[in-house]
Formats: sequence, structure tokens, C-alpha cells
Amino acid sequence: MSDHPFKHSRWPASRRRDFLRQAAALAGAVALGPAETHAGDVPADATPSGTPSAPAAPAPFSGYEYFSPQEAAFVEALVNIMCPADAYTPNGVDCGLAIFFDRQLAGPFGQGKGRYLRGPWNAGPPQMGLQSPLTPAQFFSEGLRAANALSLSRHGKSFDQLEAAQAEGLLHEFESGGAASPAAVALADWFNALVYPLFVQACFADPLYGGNHDKVFWKLIGYPGLPATHALDMVQYRGKPYPGAASPKSIADFS
Amino acid sequence: MNQPTKLPSRSVVIVGGGLTAALVARQLTVQGVQTLVLERGTDRRDSAADRLPSQRDELRWAVHQGLMQDWSVQPYSLRHGRDEPSYPIRWMSAFLPGEGLGGAASHWNGHCWRWSRYDPVLRSHLEARYGKQAIPADMPLADWGVTYERLEPYHDLFEKLFGISGQAGNLRGRKLPGGNPFEAPRQHPYPQPPLQSLEAGLMFAEAAQRLGYHPFPQPGANSSGAYLNPDGQRLGACQYCGHCERFVCEAQAKATPELLLYPVLMKRPGFELRLRAHVLGVTYDAAARRVSGVRYVDLRDGREYEQPADVVVLGAFTMTNTRLLLLDRIGKPYDAAETSGVVGRNFCYQTCSGVELFFERRWINPFLAAGSTGTVIDDLNNDNFDHTGLGFLGGGSISTTVYNGRPIGSRLLPEGTPRWGTAWKAANARWYAHSLLLSAQGSCYPHRENFLDLDPDYTDAYGQPLLRMTFDFRDNELRMSEWVTRKMGEIAQSMLPDHMSAVEGIKPPFDTRVYQTTHVTGGTPMGTDPAHSVVSPHLQHWDAQNLFVVGASVYPHNSGYNPTGPLAALALRLGDELVDYTRRPRWLG
Repeated sequence: MSDHPFKHSRWPASRRRDFLRQAAALAGAVALGPAETHAGDVPADATPSGTPSAPAAPAPFSGYEYFSPQEAAFVEALVNIMCPADAYTPNGVDCGLAIFFDRQLAGPFGQGKGRYLRGPWNAGPPQMGLQSPLTPAQFFSEGLRAANALSLSRHGKSFDQLEAAQAEGLLHEFESGGAASPAAVALADWFNALVYPLFVQACFADPLYGGNHDKVFWKLIGYPGLPATHALDMVQYRGKPYPGAASPKSIADFS
Repeated sequence: MNQPTKLPSRSVVIVGGGLTAALVARQLTVQGVQTLVLERGTDRRDSAADRLPSQRDELRWAVHQGLMQDWSVQPYSLRHGRDEPSYPIRWMSAFLPGEGLGGAASHWNGHCWRWSRYDPVLRSHLEARYGKQAIPADMPLADWGVTYERLEPYHDLFEKLFGISGQAGNLRGRKLPGGNPFEAPRQHPYPQPPLQSLEAGLMFAEAAQRLGYHPFPQPGANSSGAYLNPDGQRLGACQYCGHCERFVCEAQAKATPELLLYPVLMKRPGFELRLRAHVLGVTYDAAARRVSGVRYVDLRDGREYEQPADVVVLGAFTMTNTRLLLLDRIGKPYDAAETSGVVGRNFCYQTCSGVELFFERRWINPFLAAGSTGTVIDDLNNDNFDHTGLGFLGGGSISTTVYNGRPIGSRLLPEGTPRWGTAWKAANARWYAHSLLLSAQGSCYPHRENFLDLDPDYTDAYGQPLLRMTFDFRDNELRMSEWVTRKMGEIAQSMLPDHMSAVEGIKPPFDTRVYQTTHVTGGTPMGTDPAHSVVSPHLQHWDAQNLFVVGASVYPHNSGYNPTGPLAALALRLGDELVDYTRRPRWLG
């Protein structure tokens, strides 16, 4: 009911920080700190009139619980491609998106809470949902490995080392099912049923979970968040802009 | 597992602590009949689920299904046809059974309908209007054996207990402006005025009226004001916060069993509620055509108990009611190949479709909304229009579906929008407050190849077979959906949106990955003929005199309305009839 299948893309590639290099500079540290926003990353054709540049606030969390350094580098590259720094938001890492992925995969969701994981196991039609014995975290890591393998065979580089346009191209291959992948870890399933929903949740969930840092995506769309006691608002602002949309409140603001 | 511990007997034991159980228990205990309710979940009052700020957590409650049945314990399996293998649905998104006190009526959106006057006599009605040949041989429609008029006082009582907000359209046969002209006649108006209409509803109403339709506000359990019900229980006024469906209402403004019914029951002598009691089976003596009680696991100590009872009522969700009968072979399982047997037959869903509209210059503000702030037309629903020559039966209610602006699940974007990147962000910024969904909630009539049985390969966490759905949208529903959706598209177009999604009826196969509706019905259909129904018009099992079944599982077909109203009326009537039955047990005729 929300998003529709991708049809076309038309924005220029944005520059991307080299996170492996940064990791190397951290001299073996597992934790990768969030990077600051690069104002220069804003694509030329993406500045809507009247939209203020999003503020760059420091991300509240750093350090990964689930990801290995290589996985972290992949995911940071991924979220910075899917969410480049532009007039709307800082880049994906600075929005906390990589942290969101990490925490979700480390937590109950990633560990398969609420998911039926008994055999027998048979590949079924897509309408039956994923029929994989892997937990979401295991599936994420397996898919990431397969995606990196494809990146290496295609471009001679791991995903996080790709030029933005190359990475973008690979994501579209995953999305459309065009990318060759092991049958047990179909990259189309991996991307569309796991990576993409996590990306959307990372952007729009309450900042409590590490993504949507500083409520940046709520500000972007004008979702006012909490406390949402709108009995009077819904009459007064019916058909009109709602002033509270400019300064959303999250769970932390009431905790 | 060790031998179950046998507990002292109770007069009436009800399986499931949801809406129907509470309504049955209300009628029983007021007359002093001892009643025990067994609920597998817990009581969520005064927990993170119903308190600010945690209640407003979309990820926890809506995305991760924090209030729903635990699929790791008990999922369902599915095949689209009898000749296909089945697959367990490892994470179900299409429909959402609840868990915990209040059941699915705890996390419901609040839509509360009386069905059409002809729904309980649908087969007779359609035969009279179109002739016997109009109903296809593979569509086992059946009269319920009870009339709307018999249920009307119970509808009225339920609406008062739950403080339903709405605009009457047919008061004792007199059509009232602003209400639903197709409404079955009611003796009394709704106890509360309707909720506020949204901008989306005003736009839709204007367009629908211009095309000759009859828009009216959605009747709902989201309280339009402060309300005191006949049992002395209170509802607060709805705050239009957009956290109704998939959530517990934090403002105590959405009528639910745990808010309005169980607190009253807890104070009554003779009522007992056992939480974390997962029922495994009903003990059945086929020769005597009686049940002697139920077996359950107490999830607090992990041990199995045998609970004897004079009367057992299955008041669980549609699927569990059916499964318990199949597990203990109470009644002959339905066999689609032979078209024999009854348990599991007439399994229905609903046939839903939607059209998304985008208006550059209109402020829809979807976050200023509540679960029942829809504006609806009933003109194209069920048999409210002439089906002669159309090639299908049934129809759908069409409404604005703007119930919340929750940003993970309810954002709309025009087709063709890139799925990530700057252009994706730009589209989100541009359309979030300026888009709305129209949807058709379509009927789903029974088909001989749509049914429930036990899965031969998959078991739940207790080692019991999963309930298996054999289901798909069949020709009648596909044709109906195509037609109704086209009509909805005409209304949408006349609203002059800047963008609009493709106008398409539902397409098979049934997709478990996409939320459609939680309204699964049938499996234990009621009726007058034991060869084609599981329970009698009094909801008494044909093969077990002291076993009764209540809920949407007894519907022989599914209508283009939410199912709550009639099942609540049936539960209240069952409670009254059980008072009499416990005094004089017999086959009710």
C-alpha cells in the first residue's frame, strides 16, 4: 500500500565516502563512527524550492553489534547510495540507517522472533512468503556475501569500493531479479523482502531504533509524530497545512 | 507430556478471551451461570501497549505485529488449489489474528456494521430475485437459519455497549438523510453521532454524490465523544491519533472487550478468567454426541490440564474454532473431492482493491485521522444493485481509506517513483500530506474448492497439525472485483487528481505477503441442514449437543462489510439461549 515497483531513475550519482579507508584509518577498530554531512553531495537537480537544507546533527549511536567490519562497510555504502546527502537529508549513515540495520539484525527481528522456522523446507511460489530456514540476520549476511561476490566478479571490487553508478546498477539488478545468485539465497528476495523493508523502516521508524536520526525523515514529509492528540487539530486544520508537522516529536521527547 | 491434571468442573467453559467470549459471558453471568474463559495471551491493560509514549511505536506494534498471534508457535499453511503442495506461512501479513485479552477486537480499527437485511437469507434472496440457476453449482451459499429481525435487538444492545458512532440511515423503515439508505431497518439510532469527516471524505462525498451515489460516515467503535455505556463503563473521546488498527487505544476511546466488557465480568460472582491458557483440544464422546471439557496448557507452568465442563463454547478466532473441531474430529471434515463432510467448508476471505489519488494542492493530512474516519458508499455492495447480466454475484463497499498517516506503512507515492535516492525523498516530501486511498471491501462468496483442513506435513510448537487453507480468488470474485474497482476508478477520476494509480481489480493468486483484511470467515458454517453446516441456527454443534461455536467461523459467506456486528449479535443471543440451555440441556430446535 505504500511503495510501488521501481520504474526509472534519473538523478546523478553522488559522491560517497570511502568507508573502508576510514576503517583502516581507525587502525582496526570495529566501530565505524558516523560521518559528517557533505553539503557538496547534493545533486544539482534535487533542490526543491522552499525546502531548507536538512541540519546535520551528530548521530546518537555508533559501534556495531551485529555487523563484521566488512558487513558494516557494505551496509554503510548501501545506505549512502539509497540515501545520499542532499537538500533533504544527510547521508544514510548520518541519518542512522546503518545503525538501524545493525540493531534490527542483532535483535529479536534478526534472530527470527515470531517467524515459523520448522521444516520441511520447500521452495514455493512467492505469494507464500520466504521459505528459508535462515533467520533474517543469517539471510542478510548470506545475501550480503552473495552480493559482494557478484560485485567482485562484475567489477573486480567489493560493493563498498564501487563507484556510485556501479553500486546503483547492482541494486537495480538485485531489485529486478536480474542478478545471478545462489538458489538458496536469491538476491531479489534478499533485496526486496529484507533489505528494502529495513531501509524504509530505518528512514521512518521512531528514532528510538537508531534510524531517522533527529526525526529527519519525519520532518521531510511533515509527519508530526507524538503525542498525536488531534481532536481539535483535525477540525481546525482540515484541508490546511498543519503547523505541528514542522517540528515532530518522538518517543524520546516524552520519555 | 505427563498425564493432564484434572480440575474441578465448571458450568460453561469458553475457549478464547476475545469479543464473543465476553459477550456470551456477559449474558450468562448476569443470570448467575458459572462461566470460565480460557485465553492463551495476557491482559495488556496498563502495559507498554496502551500507554504513551510507547503506544505510538509503529515499528513495534504495526510492523513487528506486537499484538498478534505468534507465528513461530502457530502459523497456518496455504495452497491455492487442492492439487498443489501446501506451504507454512512463516510470517503472515495478509491477515492478523490477535493474541491476548480482547483478541482481534483489541487491535481492530473499529468499523462496526450491521450487514444487509438479506445477508442471513442470502440464498433465498438471490434465488427469489434472479432465479435458482443464478447461483453457480460450485457456490454453496446458504441461509443462516436466523433472520436480521431476530438479531436486531442484539445489534442494538451491542452498539450501546460499545458506544458506536454513526449516522442512522434507516430508522424503523424511515430513510434518514446523511445515513446509509441501504441500511437494514434499525429500531434506534446509533448511540453516538458519527466521527468527524476528513478532507478526503469531503472530497469523496462530493464526487460520489455528483455521480448519484449516497455517501455517509463510516460507523465505528472509535468514540466520537465521552460515553457511558449501559454497564457503567466509560469511553473517552477519540483524539484522531491514527493508532487504532494494530494498536491498543491509549485514550480508552476505542471500544474493546478488555476496556468495556471484562472489567464488568471480573466483578461478577461465578466468572473466572484464566490467562496464558492455551487450549489443545476438546474432549469428545462421539457415541454420546457430547463433549466433556477441554484440555489446555498453562503457559505459566508448562503443564497440561483437563478442564471438565457441562457446556463448551468455542469463541476463538475463525481459524482456531475450525481447527479445534478438526483436531478432535468433532463433525465430519469437509471433503472437496466428494463434496461431503462439513467441518472446514465455506471458508471465505474478502476481495479488496484500492486506488491511490494524489492532489498537488489539497491538504489531506492523513495523520489527523482515526480507524473509522472513512466516508463510504454502499450502493455497489452485495446485492444493493441489480446483477442481471453482470455475470457475478456480490459487490463491495467503497470508502476513503485514510485511517492514519503512519509513515512506514501508510505513505503513498505515485507509480513510477524511484524506490530510493533523492528523487524518492523528493516524492515523499511532495505527496505524503497530499495523497489518499480509496478502497473497495468486496464480498467473498463460498466456493467448493475453498476450505480448511489439517496440514499433513507441518506441526505447531505443541506438535499439533497446522490448519491448512486451500484458498484462492475464484471467477465470481475476480469478475466482481474488476467491475466494482472500475466503478471506484470512475469516482476517483471525477475527483480530478494530479496522479492516480492503475485501476485494477484483485488478481490471483492470494498473496500472503500483502495485508488485505483480517476478515477470514467460515469453516464452521451455521445452517438448517446438518449435511451442509457444522452448527445449527442456535450455534449448537450438530454432532455434540453441549458444544457451541460462535464467531465469524459460523458465517456461510462473507459480505462486503466488516464482520464484527453480526458476530457480536450472535454471541449475545447465544448467551441468552445458553442461560436457558444450562437449565434444560437439549437439542435446541
